Amino acid sequence: MIASAKQLEERACSIRATCIQMAHDGKEGHLCSALSPVDVLVALFYSFLNIEPKTPKQENRDRFILSKGHGCASLYAIMADQGFFPKEKLSEYNRAGAMLPNHPCLHALPSLEMSSGSLGHGLGVGTGMAYGLQLRNSGARVVVLAGDGECNEGSIWESAAFAAAHRMEKLLFLVDYNGIQAVGRSDEIMGFTSLEDKFRSFGWGATTVDGHDMEAILAALGRFPFKPGSPSAIIAKTRTGVSFMENDVLWHYRKPSVEDLQRSLTELGAQPIHRTTP
Amino acid sequence: MRRAFANTLCALAEQDQRLIFLTGDLGFQVFDEFIKRFPSRYINAGIAEAQMVCAAAGLALEGYRPVVYSIASFMTARPFEQIRFCVAYSHLPVVVVGAGGGFTYSVSGVSHHAGDDLALMSLLPGMTVVAPGDPHEAELLLKQLLRIDGPSYLRIGKFGEPTFQAEAPPVLGQARLVCRGDRIAVLTTGDMVTEALRALEELRAENITPWLYQFHTIKPLDTGTLDLLAKQVEAVIIVEDALPAGGLGAAVTTWMSATLSHPRLVRLGPPDEFVLGNPTRDTMFLRYHYGCAAIAETCRRLSAKP
Repeated sequence: MIASAKQLEERACSIRATCIQMAHDGKEGHLCSALSPVDVLVALFYSFLNIEPKTPKQENRDRFILSKGHGCASLYAIMADQGFFPKEKLSEYNRAGAMLPNHPCLHALPSLEMSSGSLGHGLGVGTGMAYGLQLRNSGARVVVLAGDGECNEGSIWESAAFAAAHRMEKLLFLVDYNGIQAVGRSDEIMGFTSLEDKFRSFGWGATTVDGHDMEAILAALGRFPFKPGSPSAIIAKTRTGVSFMENDVLWHYRKPSVEDLQRSLTELGAQPIHRTTP
Repeated sequence: MRRAFANTLCALAEQDQRLIFLTGDLGFQVFDEFIKRFPSRYINAGIAEAQMVCAAAGLALEGYRPVVYSIASFMTARPFEQIRFCVAYSHLPVVVVGAGGGFTYSVSGVSHHAGDDLALMSLLPGMTVVAPGDPHEAELLLKQLLRIDGPSYLRIGKFGEPTFQAEAPPVLGQARLVCRGDRIAVLTTGDMVTEALRALEELRAENITPWLYQFHTIKPLDTGTLDLLAKQVEAVIIVEDALPAGGLGAAVTTWMSATLSHPRLVRLGPPDEFVLGNPTRDTMFLRYHYGCAAIAETCRRLSAKP
């Protein structure tokens, strides 16, 4: 566990550098999708979630689901950094038959809670886990991270109603609101409406934070649960954190060239956490 | 079958604390006993099948044995992606129950027709697909499904199907011998077995005695029984209340072509079309030639000496 926001910010910088290196080496796009939630993921994994990396399936652990599976490079980088698996494995990202495919697979990496890659399922599966944990009077929390584009899916809103109806106080849903989805801008597609308002109207406690203001993220996590007897949502407004990739749908797909890699590492002032083979 | 299902569910919930039942807002008064005895293990997920299936997957990941229930057309086609991705991909022990499978709800129109339920569920790798023929089979097969470690689909009909006697007990994965015969064999699935039994009753007076096997398990297909039958009979008649693609007929045809087996094969069942006009099931049997009369007539034709 890391408590100071400054240390977490440094960690996030290294994780960003790691993701860009992985995307470059693995020749995989979806870099924006991995970079935008990095600060939120770092805050979760280094100061909120109770998961033991060496024994990740302990019964009383918190459950974490990355519902936006295409953004998995950041999850893998953090898991490796925390010791869920050796850091060298990161250089096998997106390699056929390896444990770190470009959409997380429970069969390849059993320390995950579920496979993802098909959007709109994580929250629903999370509600089932939360229901089961409530039945056992477990204190474990269920945390699901999804994208803003993913909130186009109707199943998200079925899950939102279910979670409120069953008073899932231990359920936390984070939306990585990076504003960009596969072929457009999420605000345009969702009609410029507030996700925070939507979750509130579904009976949730909800808040919006700057997804790169570590103090603000920690403060929001510290207030969880936001409303007694209700599930909580954090809408984190995010960017990629690399200047030349900001606000550009192209970087949803583009694989970073070696020049892109060097430029972004220089800008971040950070190096990947794993040793890379030249 | 639905009453047998509800009663069996109660008995199983008593024995197994992991059993948890989710309904897509269906089964008015059918599950009152379950609700009374196991309130926290009864979840009405609302008219939200996708959510119901995802929640069942989450419960299964937490070690529970979820049983999800809705009308067959809404239980299979609608949340197909959730069953495929959240349940089948992870090979989770979720029992998906489709009430009113096939054309049970023929009079309610295309929205309620589930001629594709068996096909959709059979498409999924690792899925066990079962269509019992009467309340007794429904009870015994549900008990067996809750003991397997992967996902399954159970098609149940409506209320008050007649029970039937058979030579063998229902065993998951095995074709059930209903009665012995000679030159031809009738293979049924779901409640078409009762139509076949009525046909066989008629034929007995004419000295026509087909074998009758109930293929309550469509997947995995009991190819052992098919191998034996292929050596014994001249013709096989398959009777199913399902569309031609992906049902028992299609599975047996695929097996025959793969094994170069030669008995003559006739499939009786609804055709590849949307059934318009909300006909009764008896009207469907006549219109599409697959009820008792059609089975009897086909047996006569195939039994006639050339």
